[in-house]
Amino acid sequence: MTSMASSSYHKLASFTVPSEPGNERIALAQVADAVAGQGLPESRLDRLKTAVAEAAMNAIEHGNRNQAEIPVDIEVVAADGDIVVTITDQGGAPEQAGPGEEPDLVRKLAGEQAPRGWGLFLIRHMVDAMDVTTEGTRHTVTLIMRTGAAEEGGPREDHV
Amino acid sequence: MKTTCEADIRILPGGAVITLSGEIDGHAADTLTQGYERAVADGDPATVVLDFAAVQYINSTGIALIVSVLARARSQGRKVVASGLSDHYREIFDITRLSDFIELFPSIDGAVSQIREAAG
Repeated sequence: MTSMASSSYHKLASFTVPSEPGNERIALAQVADAVAGQGLPESRLDRLKTAVAEAAMNAIEHGNRNQAEIPVDIEVVAADGDIVVTITDQGGAPEQAGPGEEPDLVRKLAGEQAPRGWGLFLIRHMVDAMDVTTEGTRHTVTLIMRTGAAEEGGPREDHV
Repeated sequence: MKTTCEADIRILPGGAVITLSGEIDGHAADTLTQGYERAVADGDPATVVLDFAAVQYINSTGIALIVSVLARARSQGRKVVASGLSDHYREIFDITRLSDFIELFPSIDGAVSQIREAAG
């Protein structure tokens, strides 16, 4: 994981969004604006935007339970060639312990698994690394995306 | 932040085209469900085309809605194909394996040609 004490640490943005359904679109737009000019190829920017939207949606719906007065905190940092996005809600640790069931399209089509459940799966496949921490009520998802043109490909590592 | 999704239906010999626009998220549930119902209400189409050329955003809930449409179509013996997806959403269709079950066409013209050929 990228050290926040890095000499190249540079905060690009810090903002909040009210916990209302659909506000993940605001989050992804502001993160996209913040990382403009950081060297992310378009395809990787699209991946980061999807990951941010999914993490923000989880924070709004599951963390802050759609309570508009409780904000989702979002910070965007450039550090050592990484874009690091942290998304924090006030929901504490998720109720479900451990990794959830991996979405399986064949089982979903057979009615053996609910159609939903793609959010975390998409996040993991969109970014190079992710981390989830809980400190009291603060539940933070950290998304890491490397910059640079030679970075097309799958995730580098997965902390979840 | 309310989002919008619209669906226009076009019936062809042997198939139906659902032209989607806007955002495919949780707010699109009724639009997608009713769009599918309108598309198959007449003519018993063998193939249903989902055209995404005018769609700007699909999230995980939207993926779930597409899974539901696909499951329903398959249970009725219909084929689902898709057109107009951006490179990013083609990648997501690959990652989720939707592209194993939904043939992807770059544009609506290719999808419609296949329907017409199949219909003879």
